[in-house]
Amino acid sequence: MNPLRVAAVFRRIVAQFRRDPRSLALLIVAPLAIIALLGWVLGSQQATAARVAVINDSISPGSGAVVVRLQSALEDQPGITIDRSVGDDSTARQMLKDKKLDLVVILPADFSVQNRKIDLLTLGLNSTAEAAALPAVQKVLISAAADSSAGLALPTIERATVYGSPNATQLDSLAPVVVGFFAYFFVFILTGVSFLRERIGGTLERLLATPVSRAEIVLGYSLGFGFFATLQVAIVLAFVLGRLAIPALGPVPAFAIGLGVHTAGNPLISYLLVLVLGLGAVSLGIFLSTFARTELQILQFIPIVIVPQGLLSGFFWPIEGLPNLLQPVARILPVTYAIDGLRQVMIAGADLSSPQVLLDLGVLTGIAAVFVILAAATIRREVA
Amino acid sequence: MTVTPATPPPAVEAAALRKDFGQIHAVDGIDMSLPPGRIYGLLGPNGSGKTTLIRLLMGLASATSGTAKVLGVEMPSRANLSRIGYMTQSDGIYPELSVWENLTFFAALYGQTDKAQLHASLELVELDTRAGTPAQNLSGGMRRRLSMACALAHHPTVIFLDEPTVGVDPALRVQFWEHFHRLAADGATLLVSSHVMDEADRCDELLFIRDGRVLAQGTSAELRKRAGTDNIETAFLRFATDSASAATPAAQPQETGR
Repeated sequence: MNPLRVAAVFRRIVAQFRRDPRSLALLIVAPLAIIALLGWVLGSQQATAARVAVINDSISPGSGAVVVRLQSALEDQPGITIDRSVGDDSTARQMLKDKKLDLVVILPADFSVQNRKIDLLTLGLNSTAEAAALPAVQKVLISAAADSSAGLALPTIERATVYGSPNATQLDSLAPVVVGFFAYFFVFILTGVSFLRERIGGTLERLLATPVSRAEIVLGYSLGFGFFATLQVAIVLAFVLGRLAIPALGPVPAFAIGLGVHTAGNPLISYLLVLVLGLGAVSLGIFLSTFARTELQILQFIPIVIVPQGLLSGFFWPIEGLPNLLQPVARILPVTYAIDGLRQVMIAGADLSSPQVLLDLGVLTGIAAVFVILAAATIRREVA
Repeated sequence: MTVTPATPPPAVEAAALRKDFGQIHAVDGIDMSLPPGRIYGLLGPNGSGKTTLIRLLMGLASATSGTAKVLGVEMPSRANLSRIGYMTQSDGIYPELSVWENLTFFAALYGQTDKAQLHASLELVELDTRAGTPAQNLSGGMRRRLSMACALAHHPTVIFLDEPTVGVDPALRVQFWEHFHRLAADGATLLVSSHVMDEADRCDELLFIRDGRVLAQGTSAELRKRAGTDNIETAFLRFATDSASAATPAAQPQETGR
């Protein structure tokens, strides 16, 4: 291992980036733009106004009073309007289809004081959006139904969390994920394309004709791309964690730069996790570039390599909730461990004394080491 | 036991060197021994195995069987590569990097960091005024010269040049050959591949190569005399027909196949 040769490879990658402002922009500006958009969408999401109708199919004597009580209780909830003109099921269903109603509460035919089952009807086209209106309605239904029964009080639920606050926005729990995932994605794409160019441009052939070793090439590449990954993660983390309020100035309204996501842990540990993940991505890019002949073929690895990691790594759903067959798959993906570690650090405030964080770091290091070996092994592959 | 070096040890050697790609024998058992300080022309049509032979000699491809030695060291040997220069058929330079950045990068991999010497290498190929220009903005001939400067910056003693004059205009070609002769005069051994037969007379010695085998070896004058012609192309074709008729079809499946 000759440090001068490693330094030469490192300097060359930095010089190439300096002369390629578009790739530099992709690395820095693109994640910022996407995270800013995400923060905007999630942070100032408007409570969708729900139009609700209450329908009484029951012939039970007390049911009329229940309907009236439900209607007025629902009306007290923010964002809910009651449509009292709807009288029967079929009209209600048609109005749901015509987007004139969002939710229908039905007291079924067998409703009675003893059998207090209530049906909720929604359109079912966009379950996420419809689910947003449900908690408010359920809360009202529980208390209203409890009142209507003779003194039989149902428990009310108050939510608390161990970490963070129960009022944590989606953004707070998504921020760690996004930071890790972008670092992985962009570093992989840039290294893959960059190394592919070495292969097809004849420069790899020339590199291999010099006394430089495979290890020196991989290390030089890791340092070069690690340098830019560091730059990227530092800027992205600063943007996610910081918040700089800009006051209104003339016609420009007041706005804030940065998302101001609350972090409980040390940003340096978050950075360490992302760096190890990124180093693995460098070697993975080098390795997979062996199997591509054109830059387009590198992009074809996105649905194969990147998207499944996004789906399985706990980005959207917890690993424990995955089907049994997919769980072992999720547990060999590096992004899984990066996301877990980042959540531990940023939300639970864990530090390096936490066995969970150490495990995540250890596994990430191991995976990176495997990719480094694979990358080094493919560099000698003959360029026929 | 004392060794009396009557002749200097060969700079480049091959013994029963063979490389198969599936059914195709790209290099089909080549033996050669090239004494140092001369320019050897590797002449043959496209696809005759010139590039594969050079890659085998450099240790960039692994031989199916046989051995290759450069300066007495069996290849592949990473340490030995610092004494070898290689100009690839493609330019093999980084288009977004400047002339100077390309040169200093490759030179650094060989441990050559002396700026004055690197400037001298650029002057030699007349690119010293273009040091800051990105390689992608250079003309084809200039890129070829940069590629050569990158291959020679570390003053190698054995130099492999794979079709160095392809796409190079006649004036520049003359300059290239003058440069090659200066290097040989300084003691370097050059193996220059070409499919252009009129470059043959510029080499000290020629190797005719076809279908992965050496048809004949000798000076241009010798080979023409043996073939009984004044024309080097005719000489090549005579050697080629002789070798084809000497071999039975069964022993040469690649002649009848694709």
